[in-house]
Amino acid sequence: MKPIDPSSVPRLLPGVRLRTLAGGETMLLVPEGAVKLSATSAAVVESIDGKRDIAGIVARMNERFDAAGADLAADVSSLLEEFAQRVWIGFDS
Amino acid sequence: MNARVAHPLSLLAEITYRCNLQCAYCYNPLDLSSYRDEMRTDEWLRVIGEAAALGIVQIHFSGGEPTLRADDLVAMVAAARVHGLYSNLITQGTFLSDALLDRLVESGLDHAQISVQSADAGAGDLIAGATVHAAKFDALARAAARGDLAVTLNCVLHRANIDDAEGIIALAERLGIRRLELANAQMYGWAHRNRATVLASREQVARTDALVARAQERLRGKLDIVYVRADYYDAFPKPCMNGWGRQFMTVAPNGRALPCPAAAAISSLRFENVREGTLEEIWYRSAAFSAYRGTAWMTEPCRSCERRDVDFGGCRCQAFLLAGDAALTDPACSLSPHRDLVDAIIDHAGISTRVSVARNARNEPPA
Repeated sequence: MKPIDPSSVPRLLPGVRLRTLAGGETMLLVPEGAVKLSATSAAVVESIDGKRDIAGIVARMNERFDAAGADLAADVSSLLEEFAQRVWIGFDS
Repeated sequence: MNARVAHPLSLLAEITYRCNLQCAYCYNPLDLSSYRDEMRTDEWLRVIGEAAALGIVQIHFSGGEPTLRADDLVAMVAAARVHGLYSNLITQGTFLSDALLDRLVESGLDHAQISVQSADAGAGDLIAGATVHAAKFDALARAAARGDLAVTLNCVLHRANIDDAEGIIALAERLGIRRLELANAQMYGWAHRNRATVLASREQVARTDALVARAQERLRGKLDIVYVRADYYDAFPKPCMNGWGRQFMTVAPNGRALPCPAAAAISSLRFENVREGTLEEIWYRSAAFSAYRGTAWMTEPCRSCERRDVDFGGCRCQAFLLAGDAALTDPACSLSPHRDLVDAIIDHAGISTRVSVARNARNEPPA
């Protein structure tokens, strides 16, 4: 698999969607499975709209979260990498 | 309500046990004709609403062959979508016309798992006991090509087809499918009855374990290969259902609520019916769902084992089927005092002169 480029545009593949539960918890629903997401992971997935590139997602995360000292770009990349390995997201570039 | 018990996440809705295939490895119960009193659609719609209220997020429509109730299935998928549930269809694909696929997707179907018995139509028809593979391959290709539905290709591996696991992987690649489930047959129901002919050999399984690991590495990011291991050949048991009464509920075609799809075989338990109680009552208060929840029910060697929260003692159905007591350690575990029962099945498999008994109502054992 090729490394993820900041200008790549991720999109959720069919059968992958977010669901916020009554208690406020967010899950990623995938074929025959459900993954609990942290607030930041949920925000990354919410930012995936098929138009915004990875650099844009990182910028949006920086606006939303007080991330002083944290390497948000690395966090976003590793999350997207993980989802790409499971073939839950694809990339357009 | 017991505050310590978490709500279930997943409901397996077995809407019929009828099927036009006769696979010898099927995990459905042997007494298929006991399930002819199938729940009506309005009863299923009520159950779907109760499932969502209970906190369930995923529903799996299965059977038997669920598309034998095509109109009912479309209504159930629509209800699942209205209630916010993610819907999976588990089908062998014989009846999956484009018209039915359109209706299911329009109703909100999220994912279809379509099974084949072999990458070769002739071998597949022989295993299925029906001339169906031309139609199945066609349905699979059409579903995979449409782009608006997640598709998993499923193949149950057993003695007669496991040596062609590579052919199944190639089929998934050729069709551009993103998810492949290769599941070694688990020994329940008809598979348990046919274990002497269904169980693959140790060498076959070892070869396939290695082959699949290589394919997973090679196809990472392109094809997600979910591999279900052959538990008879492992040192430790599978974490069956991720724990009894912990995440999963099954409702059989007649409305009987089960902690797992094979649990009806545990004749020492009495299972309640969703026609007589709500899913919530059954999940939190029925004796059957409480029986093997947590770790307090465990006997040794599970009780003091450091893996008890990893594999939950393995499979209750397997303990009952093989050793006669569902509270025993899964005999597939190398620490079980009953492991010799599994070893005897392994030693016997493949040298038997028996032929498989086809899965159909005529071949039911006498009650």
